Amino acid sequence: MLKTLDRAPLDEIITFDQLVLDPYPIYKRLRAEAPVLRVKSVGRTFLTKAADTKRVKDDPVLFSSNDPNTPMQPAYRAHTLMRKDGPEHLAERMAMAPAYSPKTISNVWAPLYKELAEEYVGRLPRGEAVDLYADLCGPIAARILAHILGIPEATDKEMQDWSQILIDGAGNFAWRPEPFARTDLINDVIDRQVDRMAERLKAEPDSSALSFMINADNPIPMSQVYSNIKIAIGGGINEPRDALATIVYGLLTEPEQFEEVKRQENWGAVFEEGVRWVAPIQASSRLVTEDTEIRGFAIPKGDVVMTIQASANHDEELYDHPERFDVFRKKNPHQAFGSGPHHCAGAHIARRTVGQIMLPVLFDRFPSMTLPDPSVVQWRGFGFRGPINLPVVLN
Amino acid sequence: MTKIVYVAADGTRTEIEAEDGTSVMQAAVSNDVEGIVGECGGSMACATCHVYVDDAWAGKVGERNPGEEDMLDCAASEMKPTSRLSCQIKVAPELDGLVVHMPEAQF
Repeated sequence: MLKTLDRAPLDEIITFDQLVLDPYPIYKRLRAEAPVLRVKSVGRTFLTKAADTKRVKDDPVLFSSNDPNTPMQPAYRAHTLMRKDGPEHLAERMAMAPAYSPKTISNVWAPLYKELAEEYVGRLPRGEAVDLYADLCGPIAARILAHILGIPEATDKEMQDWSQILIDGAGNFAWRPEPFARTDLINDVIDRQVDRMAERLKAEPDSSALSFMINADNPIPMSQVYSNIKIAIGGGINEPRDALATIVYGLLTEPEQFEEVKRQENWGAVFEEGVRWVAPIQASSRLVTEDTEIRGFAIPKGDVVMTIQASANHDEELYDHPERFDVFRKKNPHQAFGSGPHHCAGAHIARRTVGQIMLPVLFDRFPSMTLPDPSVVQWRGFGFRGPINLPVVLN
Repeated sequence: MTKIVYVAADGTRTEIEAEDGTSVMQAAVSNDVEGIVGECGGSMACATCHVYVDDAWAGKVGERNPGEEDMLDCAASEMKPTSRLSCQIKVAPELDGLVVHMPEAQF
């Protein structure tokens, strides 16, 4: 059958820089003209329609996460759960799950996070201009993560630095030596920190991911404990950080919605719309395990497809005016947390900490916050995306 | 086709004629039944399709699948003896008229 089908068209024009700076107009065009497209600059087959991204994520046998030869391996010194399938992935994922469950969040983390949110928001100077991205979004995301992972002694700066170094290492597809030299250094630092805390948590267990992992009846190997903690550091700061910054930008540039949201206090819907509008994780890769077809194009075994959930979340088949931040959408079946077995393990945490704690605390203290000049806000990122500055005036 | 009855936390009943072989979660999502999210698509990875099987049907839907209980423990609403992930209940003729109750919240 495959012989009769054509390969997906090949694009040689789209550049990586264009995707980093402003991918949405490109995705809009691809959804209309070439929803299955081999993009030379990225070396992947882009899927930009919601039905296709979901189908791929929901079929882990045909579209595998398993890719032992990624730069993630040296960067994390492990074959991590992100790049595994089946029972092995499930065991490592479920080892952390109790720490991230709604029950644990309500009983343990929410009270602490409310306190932390008030402390971090309380430090911000009223009546002044601040960069909310650097002064709040990053640091509070780091603090929240340090606690839930079980390494609260790591500072906000350490957590953020480690996260960025791990991300840079995992994305080092050019296999340059410098990013791996940096990940080597922090791998040692993080592993030692984990060892120190593990000893303490064996004596005094708590509800952190590290504690659940090491105190389980049938614990996963220590090598995977290290790698799970690193995966969470590399993938647990920038998403809530970017979600928060994106949502604040959305609200401050839609004053009518902002007023209505403050009146209705529907922060849950605000959160969902923010992560739909600019998904913090925009794209994911899957390895094709058997010859198949998507939208009538041959997709051969060994090809790597990229699900562009950023684009799925703007699919005109599902959304009116998808390019607009609109809290009051009737339906919002976004794929910001992915789908399938690798569905974001931190989804409940993100919804509750950003949606139910950070947003109300922030706007309760600064209900008249403004963004004097939205045009100075810079957005960046192809794989991960969000604003990289957010100069607001706090009132 | 098999009739499935979804009862929301506020008592609203929605009846769906579901295709056999699909899941109780998928039938709800395809028919826009509010109260079941099914965000992970049926992979037992999100616990947002949690339902309480009506007592009259509890014995007929079968046992929980391996791993389902761990995931139910991660659901937003309380796990009860009748709790199931609706993605793990397959629609079949013997379930015609099945009643499931949806929890207050899925996340």
